[in-house]
Amino acid sequence: MSNDSVTLEDGVLRIQGVLDYRSGPLLRKQGQELIRSSKADNLEVNCAAVEKSSSVGLALLLAFMRDAEQGGKTVKLTHLPLDMQKIAEVCGLTEILNIAP
Amino acid sequence: MSVDDAFAVALKGVTFQRGSRKIFDNVSISFPRGKVTGVMGPSGCGKTTLLRLMAAQLKPEKGEVWVNGQNLPTLSRSDLFDMRKQFGVLFQSGALFTDLNVFENVAFPLRVHTELPDEMIRDIVLMKLQAVGLRGAIDLMPDELSGGMKRRVALARAIALDPEILLYDEPFVGQDPIAKGVLVRLIRLLNDALGITSVVVSHDLAETASISDYLYVVGDGQVLGQGSPDELMNSDNPRIRQFMQGIPDGPVPFHFDAPDYRDDLLGGR
Repeated sequence: MSNDSVTLEDGVLRIQGVLDYRSGPLLRKQGQELIRSSKADNLEVNCAAVEKSSSVGLALLLAFMRDAEQGGKTVKLTHLPLDMQKIAEVCGLTEILNIAP
Repeated sequence: MSVDDAFAVALKGVTFQRGSRKIFDNVSISFPRGKVTGVMGPSGCGKTTLLRLMAAQLKPEKGEVWVNGQNLPTLSRSDLFDMRKQFGVLFQSGALFTDLNVFENVAFPLRVHTELPDEMIRDIVLMKLQAVGLRGAIDLMPDELSGGMKRRVALARAIALDPEILLYDEPFVGQDPIAKGVLVRLIRLLNDALGITSVVVSHDLAETASISDYLYVVGDGQVLGQGSPDELMNSDNPRIRQFMQGIPDGPVPFHFDAPDYRDDLLGGR
């Protein structure tokens, strides 16, 4: 049973599980609905519980950033795992993603 | 029995023949996970056949082909289809769809094999093209690209689905020195940064030796030698030395088997 999910609590959007081509479409919908429903002006997208990610994980983050911008919210990415950081680096995303130290 | 975790792909005792000609005769080759392994040998020695055996496009007469713990010749058709998603292949020809622009060429495997929404497909295509330095070419058609650019678009398409194993079939053929240098850098970068297992089949000695962690030299249906590029460069084996040093005649003869020359010219016709 897959544990892949996006949840929102106190302005923190938590992504959990394996981010790949199977989980991507559902996680995209979950995150979009949660960001739209959030009243917070500043969102943290927390990736501490990501077990493994392909490029789909980075595409999810970009989609969530667009959702937040459309809703006038700011986004901060935290706890990006090493595999996501490496993909971001190879694909030139490091400066575009607002990754908190 | 399964392949050791240290190896993403392993051929064990593989025999494959076309008609009466044995392309591989009881050959064993292993590809270390996360490394670049070069397979070299003269044209026609079976390098592309080796890739096709690894991708289960061909079935060996004898032997085992292990990929991530699965022996390919024993898999069902649907299991093979799933297994192939672990592979990316950069074909010798590039094999771009000539009627699709660069964006659609790279998006193609994502549209066929996933149910991702268009916005995420666009993100991933842009990411892959940025990685190969061709995001600016997104709207161009293949016939508007140079040979080197075509190969890089094909590489972006080969990594669209984040494969674990990337097979390069003669990636340097027909490329100018700058394009070769770009490809060498990209193969190494993608391998190291993304943890891909790379198999480079080539007869371009300098480029392949420069990026490979480990090399195999194949010929006459056998593995003639294996080791680090330095070890093979300094090999005492005359067959390996002939290949590595580009000597035109030697154990691999300059002349194809032919009847006696005198008889051909002067005898009985």
